This record gives sequence, structure tokens and C-alpha cells, in this order.
Amino acid sequence: MSKTFKIDYIFFIPLTLLVLHGINSKINIFVVGNELSFLSLVAACTIIEFFIRKAKNGEEIYMRPISAMQAMEEAVGRATEMGSSVLYVPGISGLDEIDTISGVIILGHIAGMTAEYEADLHVPCCVPIVMEAARESCKESYLKKGRPDLYNDSMVHYVTDDQFAYAAGVNGIMLRERPAAVFYQGKFYAESLLLAETGSSIGAIQIAGTGSSSQIPFFVTACDYVLIGEEFYAASAYLSGSPEMIGSIKGQDYVKLLCMIFIFVVVIISVLNFLGILFFDISNIFKINILDGLK
Amino acid sequence: MSFLKRQLAIIVMSAMGFIALSGYFINWSALRDFTEKDAANFYMIIAGFAAFLGCLNLLQLHLQKIAYKKENWQYSIFTLLGFIIMIIFGFIYNGSDVTMGPHLKNEQSAFYWMYNYIYLPLGSTMFALLAFFVASASYRAFRIRNFEATLLLISGVLLMLGRVPVGALIPWWVVIVIIISILFAIIAPKIRDRKVFFISYISSNLIFIILGFFFNWHKSTPGILSIPVIQEWIMAVPATAGARAIMIGIALGIVAQSYRIMTGRERSILGD
Repeated sequence: MSKTFKIDYIFFIPLTLLVLHGINSKINIFVVGNELSFLSLVAACTIIEFFIRKAKNGEEIYMRPISAMQAMEEAVGRATEMGSSVLYVPGISGLDEIDTISGVIILGHIAGMTAEYEADLHVPCCVPIVMEAARESCKESYLKKGRPDLYNDSMVHYVTDDQFAYAAGVNGIMLRERPAAVFYQGKFYAESLLLAETGSSIGAIQIAGTGSSSQIPFFVTACDYVLIGEEFYAASAYLSGSPEMIGSIKGQDYVKLLCMIFIFVVVIISVLNFLGILFFDISNIFKINILDGLK
Repeated sequence: MSFLKRQLAIIVMSAMGFIALSGYFINWSALRDFTEKDAANFYMIIAGFAAFLGCLNLLQLHLQKIAYKKENWQYSIFTLLGFIIMIIFGFIYNGSDVTMGPHLKNEQSAFYWMYNYIYLPLGSTMFALLAFFVASASYRAFRIRNFEATLLLISGVLLMLGRVPVGALIPWWVVIVIIISILFAIIAPKIRDRKVFFISYISSNLIFIILGFFFNWHKSTPGILSIPVIQEWIMAVPATAGARAIMIGIALGIVAQSYRIMTGRERSILGD
């Protein structure tokens, strides 16, 4: 136990801050109203770290198979068999969005597959800085698979910054090149359905993943497989197969279980408060103040 | 070289991640100023350089296509024409009495005309296509014959009716017939005898309509028999519950992903 659970240097500063705040709350270390969210974040990270350590120490961790992730290699394989290309759309946001970062991370794995299968990869980008990151990721993946000869800079290219002009550009690429596999992994807005429906019309196998909750229904309707919400962020861990990364997914699941228990407790206490059995409004504790605190 | 590409990149990535996150929680104005203003400016400067690279890439790609007459090279002519024309109207030819720079927002300038009368309508056309795509996607989703798709179809129809003025004009007895029809559609596979099914369906409708007249539902209609109220309930209760479940999952996913990146475990973005 002592081997796996020790306070890491990462948690030293936040824990010191929390202790200082606990000893004397007048010091005002935290933005007013954000103390609980800070504590929750530290707790969540500690749990995740704990399971990463456990996985690192050799504990076997089961991760349920996610069909969309299993289908990624099948899709690339299908494109190779058909002699068509693979189209990868990394969304329309910049690298300041975690979705785009996750999209670029998944692109690295897909590029590894296309290098292995010798399939053509096409990555049209909406934001130039994403193009540069995507190029670097693809180049390294081709190099790692021992196929730098298959990589060329033009496979990752810039289209335009404008949302609908980008959708028109990518739709044009789809209709002209008819890729057999299309991946939508990143941050999407209203253009999601324009892209996914065009992909569907050309008969491509489509795998989408996004953290934009409003776009998930469109992708579910038009795509063959969808990484919904957290699955999208877990994809890179799943695809890497590294025990450390999979450990973090288990940690995340335990945090979710904790959230579920909290929700249940809050509901019960709120109901008792409403019925006048318990005179305590628990919802006051859970009010956070990130935006107001910054004003 | 390896240090610059790997270790230094990870150090910068982790340090900036921790600093940016601390800015949201720690009550230190200098830190908050840095995360709100300076860090955002750093990103904008880097993005500005990348924008230049993006333009170069666009020119290079399409010039190559035209020069080597690659497949569909004709489209590249239009791309380059659009690119060059907008550069000319933005940097060289003004077309108005205003000085260069502010002319971009002047109604008399050629750039403004091109933007307003060509670029914007083209964007709007793409956006308008969405309506047709929504229709085709909905048709495909509703065509699936299973319980979930039927539920989706029913709530979709109720939402569409509830959001338009005609929804409020639908009388309570029509809603009763709709609700009873839905219930009987669900239990239909359990009832083998058609006669029993038909009689129970008609009698249920009649009983509830008579009850409605008896309780004066035409004067004070219960919420469950009003399409706009049903629509509001669907949006506020089941739809919100589902969306929040997904949102909690997304938030936890972001925490775990950010933690992996900030602690340098997730290095795929650097090609590792």
C-alpha cells in the first residue's frame, strides 16, 4: 500500500494551500467560493494518480471494449482494401480547446495505423496552429512505424478559418476523393451534420468523437460509430494500451462513482429538507463561484 | 535537439497548464492577470505566426496542383483567385475615400462589398443546407424500427408541435387520442386478439373523452393534455437529465485528460 499510495510532489502545493486555508480561512488564499471546486479537483486528481500508480505497479486493469475504438483499425483496413484514402477532420477550434488536443492525439494513433496499412491519409485543418500540431503528430507516427517515406507534408493541409467555408471545403474533398473511412474527432459546431451527412452520402464508414454535447445527437444519427463524451477523452488511453493511461481511466471511473454517491446523498438530504425532517440546505455547499470570483 | 523537441516541450506544457489552472483558484491578482491576459496574448502571437504558415501552405498546395495538373486542378484556380482578389482588395486596392485599414469596415470599399455580397451569402447558403440535412438525418433516425427510435420519433413530433403556435391550438381531446394511441402502440404486441385490441382502444378513448367533458377539461385543461406543457416537460426533465449525465462524463473526461497531459504522461500530441 505504501508503495502505491504516497503523496506526490504534484499534490504538495495544493495540499499545503488547503491546510493553510483550513487553519486560517481569513488569509483568503482562494478566490471566494472556489474552495470546494479546488478541493474536488485535488481529490479527483489524487484518485486518478492512485490508480495510475497501481497500474504502473503491475495491477491488471480491465477496460471494457468500446466498439468505436475497435472499429478505428477496421475502418483504416477497409480503406486500404478499397484502395481509398482515410479522411481525418480535427474539428474547427484551436489548440486552446481540450477537444482539439484530444483530436490531435487520436490523429497520431490513426496516422500510425495508416502508416502500417500503407493507406493514404488526408487531414484538412481549419486552424493553422492545429495544422502544425497535426503535422508534427503524423510525422512522428510515420517515423515510429518505420515508414517516413510514406509521409508528406501535403497530407495535412490548411483549408480556411471560416466555419462554413471549411465545411464546404471538406465536403468538396469528400465528394471528389470519396474516402472509404472518415474520422471526425475534435470540437464541432453547426457544421457537424453538414460534414457527417455528406460522409454518409458517399458510403464512407464514419467514426466521430466530440465533447460538444449539442453535436453528439447529429453524429449519432449520421455516423456509424460515435465516441460519446468521456469515451472521446479516453480514446487515446485506450489506443495507446499503456497501463498507466488505462489506470487513469479506472481512476476517472471511481471519481464518477463518487459523484453518483454525492448526487444520491444530496437528493436524499434535499428531499428530507423539503419535507421538514432535516433543517439543512445542502445545496448551499455545492455552489461554486468561478466566474464571479474572477471579476 | 531531442531536449528541445521533447523534454522542454513537456516542461512548458506542464508548467503552463498548472499556472493557467491556478489562475482560476488562487487569489493572487498577478497570477490571474497572467492567465487572463498574458497567456492569452502568448497564444495569439503563436497563432498569428501559424496563420502566416497556413496561408503559405494554402498557396503552395494549390500552386502545385495547378503546376503539375493534378486531379481536379481546375478547382484550385478558383481557390487561388479568391485568395488573390481578397488580398488585392484588402492591401492594395481600396475603392473608397477612407484610408487603408479602416476601409475594411467602410461600406464604400471594394473589400466590404466582396465580403458582404459574396462571402456572407455563400456562408449563409452552407448554413441553410443544414435544414435539408436535418430532415434527411431525422428521416434516417426515425426509420429505424425499434423501441428507442419510436420514443425518439414521438418526443420529436411532440417537441416540434409544442414549439410552434399551432401546438397550443390542439384541443385536449386530440391529445387524449394521441396519448392513448401511443400507449396502445406500446402494448400492441402483447394483445393477440384484434377484436379485443380494437374494442379496448375505442372504449379507452371514449371513456377518457367523456371524463374530460365531465371534469370540464375544455375550460381548465390539465398540463398533461397540453402539447406546449408536454414539450416543456420533455425539455426540462428527461432531456436535461440525459444532457447532464453526458456533461458530468465530459467534465470528468476533461479532468483526467488534462491531468495526463499536465503530468507529462500523455505525450502523443508531441508524437511520442
